[in-house]
Amino acid sequence: MLSRISRAAATIFLAAIIAFPLLYGISMSFFTNIDFTDTEAHFISSAPTLRNFMVALSNRHYPRFILNSFITASLSAILRTAVTVMAAFAFSHLRFRFRREILIMLLGTMFIPADAMLYPNYRTIAALGLLDTYAAIVLPSVFSASALILMLGSLLSLSSEYYEAARIDGASDHAYIMRILCPMMQSVVAALFLQAFIISFNSYLWPLLVTNRNSMRTVQVGITMLGFADGGEYGAEFAAITLIVLPFLVLLGIGKKHISGYLTSGVNR
Amino acid sequence: MKRTIAALLIAAAALPLIAMGGSESGVETVTVWHSNSGKAGAAFDQIVEDFNATIGKEKGIEIEPVYQGLANDVLTKVKAAASADLSSLPDIAQMDATSCLDMMNADYLITIDELGFDTSILLPQAVEAFSSYKGLLGLPFSCSLLLAYYDKTLFDSLGLEPPRTLDELTGIAPLIGAKDSSGKVTRYAMAGVPTTYELGAFIGAQEGLSYFVDNENGHAGTPTEVLFGKEGTFRNFLEHWKKLADTGYLNSIGSGTTTEFAAGRTAIILASSSSLTRILADVSGRFEVGTAFVPMTDEDATGGVNIGGDALFCFSGSDAVKTVLGYLTSPDVQMMWAKETGYIAVNTGIYDDPDYIGFLKENPAYSKAVEEMHASNPKVVGIWLPSAYQIYYSFQSNVMDVAEGNKSIDQAVDDMVATVQDALDTYAAANID
Amino acid sequence: MSKRNLKAYAYLAPALLLAILFSYIPLAESIVSSFLRISQNGAVRGFAGLGNYAGLFRSEAFLRSVGHTIIFALLFLPLNTVLTIAAAAATRRKGKWTAVAEFIFISPMAVSLAAYAMIFKEMFRGRVSIISRILSTDIAWLESPGTAMLVLAMLGVFLDFGIDYILILSGFRSIERDVLDAAELDGAGSLRMLFSIELPMIRTIISATIFMAVKDALLISAPVMILTEGGPFRSTETVMYFYYLEAFKSGNRAVESTIATLSAAVSMLSMALIAIRRKHALKDI
Repeated sequence: MLSRISRAAATIFLAAIIAFPLLYGISMSFFTNIDFTDTEAHFISSAPTLRNFMVALSNRHYPRFILNSFITASLSAILRTAVTVMAAFAFSHLRFRFRREILIMLLGTMFIPADAMLYPNYRTIAALGLLDTYAAIVLPSVFSASALILMLGSLLSLSSEYYEAARIDGASDHAYIMRILCPMMQSVVAALFLQAFIISFNSYLWPLLVTNRNSMRTVQVGITMLGFADGGEYGAEFAAITLIVLPFLVLLGIGKKHISGYLTSGVNR
Repeated sequence: MKRTIAALLIAAAALPLIAMGGSESGVETVTVWHSNSGKAGAAFDQIVEDFNATIGKEKGIEIEPVYQGLANDVLTKVKAAASADLSSLPDIAQMDATSCLDMMNADYLITIDELGFDTSILLPQAVEAFSSYKGLLGLPFSCSLLLAYYDKTLFDSLGLEPPRTLDELTGIAPLIGAKDSSGKVTRYAMAGVPTTYELGAFIGAQEGLSYFVDNENGHAGTPTEVLFGKEGTFRNFLEHWKKLADTGYLNSIGSGTTTEFAAGRTAIILASSSSLTRILADVSGRFEVGTAFVPMTDEDATGGVNIGGDALFCFSGSDAVKTVLGYLTSPDVQMMWAKETGYIAVNTGIYDDPDYIGFLKENPAYSKAVEEMHASNPKVVGIWLPSAYQIYYSFQSNVMDVAEGNKSIDQAVDDMVATVQDALDTYAAANID
Repeated sequence: MSKRNLKAYAYLAPALLLAILFSYIPLAESIVSSFLRISQNGAVRGFAGLGNYAGLFRSEAFLRSVGHTIIFALLFLPLNTVLTIAAAAATRRKGKWTAVAEFIFISPMAVSLAAYAMIFKEMFRGRVSIISRILSTDIAWLESPGTAMLVLAMLGVFLDFGIDYILILSGFRSIERDVLDAAELDGAGSLRMLFSIELPMIRTIISATIFMAVKDALLISAPVMILTEGGPFRSTETVMYFYYLEAFKSGNRAVESTIATLSAAVSMLSMALIAIRRKHALKDI
């Protein structure tokens, strides 16, 4: 009994800490401008207002930023899922020469820190003439060694009978992947997709580097560049943040089970 | 399988296409990367809109303004673009003095002289600020300088005038500062840590004119040698600054000084004259804001302050670009820009305009900046250094360390000389024949 | 070359192509560049030998950034480990409200780095911030070196919290019921069970999360960029932020290529060490 109470107390305390920044961010999106410069910091708005949301939404670039983020995150998730499933399929279902060497080479990318390769990658993208394109934002992060490990782990646990049965039925590999493998691995594939989407949607530094025009900027870069605060519109900044966080909270609530199942499958292995 | 791969390839090939967006026909787009946000951003957008609706429409030119962050962020973008793909450069970039050295040595820059743009109507001090041995690097657009802001209500109640020198400031620090009963400082005399920009005045003004580095602070050629060490100017400044710090009424904070000033927790701050509208808005009438000349390092430091602000650097020499430059520095635009932002107008054509004269009269805080500009030696110019961003923070931490007693003055001078000299050497080794 | 090989290679081609283009080529480029003198615009101006490396280790700013990164890691790692384990331990037994608590604990995954960094900036801004009000102090968190680093470490915790929590929680929950029942029969108290039975059983997961956290700590850069820009007084300038400044702001190719090479080397060395300890890691694949 006692332990349950102490656990509950610890949970409430920690949950309060973890939830605070997000709740405060949402709260600030209802602040008036004076609330920000008052002599005492406010928890909640002195006169709750939706004005900040109006200001944020009336910014001429903000809707485009959001659209760009959805496009690039979707592209990134689709491409990563496709590339990962294809590679994992090859390693788990096919026999071929240099299998081990290629696997080591692909997994080896995990140890080349992408953050330290920003500059050469920037030059590559520029040399390909891709600056200010969705491709520039998406391509470098499409392949992920850790996604491959997780997907491969799941595929290896699959009985080979399905593949053999499909081949006896005369199904092509492509048909097997699309009609049997993916549906059976539905939750892993969905989680991979969702995780790739979130990671891409939330990335900051790379999209900042490879976009030079407002029409190509993603919303994460955008919210730091809307410049509301410089104009004294502090609240609009947080309204803009709230508007992009809320859909993700919902998405996370729905996909919670898939994501945790997928992430843990790799580590438990 | 083949279809999957084919689909992927098509998708990859299509990506750049999706990205292109609509391309206009018959209209020439002039891309301008800028650093104006908040009030200045709104004003700039207005200026651009006006152009696109009038002159632009007539001549088939459209300005595409892109906000790229602070002035230094614009430089970052420009350099990254240039190092990888010259075609990704904008037509015009609005940048400040920190970009000048890189621009002076950039073969992709088109100087204002090469453009053949007539600058005779422009403010000579602002032109001087961006002039190099290769000609005028960028066209002055917004001109500002360092100004002292003080709590005039407080000074008047004490019957004090703003300090002329750092020593005077040190003398009155206990009067304009305040402590509570427990001895805790509730109001500082001064807040801030001088770094490259402020030192431009504190060092540059010494003996009427002192340079940080050789080649006239880099204007007459890429600098090769540090001067502020062996000429003793940095040490001289630090000695006076340390005395001020020792009163206990100096608040060595690296940012947020205007907030402290607006909240009445500091009596004086140094800030750009272009911060005027922002500071007035933050103070919002809690007290009267006064402006004054920047206190001199000592009685011999008579050079005044250096002219800062932004210029328009060109990477394309088309007629459209010239038209845009002409428009942005035209009397009407400069008048509006000055009124909205507090920048000093760079077009001297409006100086006799009754509208502008009236504006100066109504805004004594603003006209103080103009007065200070005329009182300054135009040869006291901004410092053009490589790795300017890093050196900015080096100066800041060294001055802070001295003020807080964490470092001796000798050590700070030695460290700064070494840091700047190293940056000069590294830059020269990689970039200069 | 058999048809079978070809087919496999076709499936692997996109992954391989991307890995080569965005990992191996840049790595090779960095290694080669680190021995050359290269101008801002990419013109090779000569052979530098080990000069670039010598220059890097002479640079006070670089050495300080290494120090700052270590301080960050020392603040961040214990904070992160303790908080995530505590949260997972507190919710490891399913109860009426655990689903709500779980959702709160994974909610940081929905908030982007930029969003958290901007909220933190406001939460700790100036002397009258909301955090100072809660703690009833007047500390200007982001304006003095020590506290700014602490705020950065807190921000780091939020960025990693969701995923680490999920991993550790699932570790707790994968412990067999029999083991716990047996221990309970022996009369072990809840806290003792946690520390002497459950935590040791999930040490693999915990070490995996700590490993990921170490990697994140050593590579931290974007949060610095938004929250503090390396300030106040460069006290939060980490190695990777320094890399960004030199590569993109200063256009210093010597520093850019040497840091890139060194960080890849450090990363691979530490991997090799771990791989030697767990030689069979790849075998069962």
